[in-house]
Amino acid sequence: MSSTLKSLFVSLLIIAGFTACGPDALYDLSGDTYQLRDSDSTQVNFPADFRGDLSLVTFIYTNCPDVCPVITANMTNIQRELDDTTGVNFIEISFDPERDTPSVLKEYRNLYGLNKQFTMLTGDTTTVHPLLDKLDIVAVKTTIDSLGYDSTNYAMRHSNTLYLMDKEGYIRAKYPAHRVTPEHVKDDINYLRSE
Amino acid sequence: MKSTQHLLLILLSGCFLFLGCGSESNSSNESDSKQEVVLGKIAIDNAWARPGSQQGKSAAYLRISNGTASTDTLLSFSSDAAENVELHESIEHDDGTTSMQPAGQQVIPSGEKLRLQPGGLHLMLINLKRDIAVGDSLQISLEFARVGTITAIAPVQIQQ
Ligand SMILES: [Cu+2]
Repeated sequence: MSSTLKSLFVSLLIIAGFTACGPDALYDLSGDTYQLRDSDSTQVNFPADFRGDLSLVTFIYTNCPDVCPVITANMTNIQRELDDTTGVNFIEISFDPERDTPSVLKEYRNLYGLNKQFTMLTGDTTTVHPLLDKLDIVAVKTTIDSLGYDSTNYAMRHSNTLYLMDKEGYIRAKYPAHRVTPEHVKDDINYLRSE
Repeated sequence: MKSTQHLLLILLSGCFLFLGCGSESNSSNESDSKQEVVLGKIAIDNAWARPGSQQGKSAAYLRISNGTASTDTLLSFSSDAAENVELHESIEHDDGTTSMQPAGQQVIPSGEKLRLQPGGLHLMLINLKRDIAVGDSLQISLEFARVGTITAIAPVQIQQ
C-alpha cells in the first residue's frame, strides 16, 4: 500500500470514528433497535422506545442467588436517592433469556416491589446475545458439582455493570452495579439533565 | 402483629441457645476430661434469608461473633427449610465478572466476627423443602468444632 493510500485510509477511519460516536460515548446504541419483551410480554424496541429519557441499564438473571439481588436493591436505592425521577428509566435486561421468560421477570419485579419506572427485559437469545456482546456484558454458565447443576439448572459468572444511557441512546457512564453509590449516579444524572 | 411474632421467635431461640450451652458444659464437666469447658459464647445475629420456592434455592446471611476465649471452626450447616446447606463465596474476577464457589473451612479467632453478607460469603440453601416467602422464618444451625451446634432463626426478607 502506498503511503498516500495509507494516510487516506487512516483519516477515513478517524472520520468514521468521530461520526459514529457522540460526545464521550462508551457505546453507541443510537442507531440500533433490539426487539425485546418486557414482563408483560409486550414487545419493546430497545433503546428506541426509551429515546428522549435518561436510562439506567443493568443486567441480571433471576436465578442469581447472591449478587443480582444486590444490583436490583441498588437500582431501587438510586431511584430513592433521586429527588425527581421524571424522565429516568430503570431497565434490567436478563442475560439468561432461556430461563427468564416474561412471566418469570414479572414474579421477580413483584417480589422486589419494582414500580412502573422499572422495565425488565428479555428476548430471543439471537437478539439478546448480540446486544450483550455489543455492550461487553459477559455471562457464562457455570456449574458447581455439589449443587447438582445441569443444562437447565446452572449458575452464571457474569458482569456487574450499570450503564447510564442518554436521551439519544449513547452510553455515557459505566459503574459497578452492585457497589456504586446512589449519590454518584445521581450527580451524573443531574449532569446529563443539564446538557 | 408480625413484629411481635418475630420478637417471640427471637426470644424463644435465645432460650434454646441457653439450654443448649448449659447442657453441654454440664456434660463436659462431669465426664470427659479431655473436653474443656468453653468460656463465653458464640453469638449469631443479623440472620436473614432470601425468599425462594420449593425445590429451588435461597441464600442466607448472618453474623457470627466468637466471644469465647479460643478459636473455633465452622464444621457444617443445616436448615429445617432445605435438604442441604453449603457455605459459598461470591468472588470478583480480574475481568470484573462475579461468580460463586464453595468456600473453604472458616476459622474464627477469639474475639473476632465472621460476616456472611450479600456479595461475599453466604449460606446456600439447596433444594428447599417448602416455599419460603417474606414474613416466614426458618432455622439455620451451625456446627462448631468446640461449642457444638448453635441454631438461629432467620426471617425471610427482601434486601434493601
Ligand atoms: Cu451460592
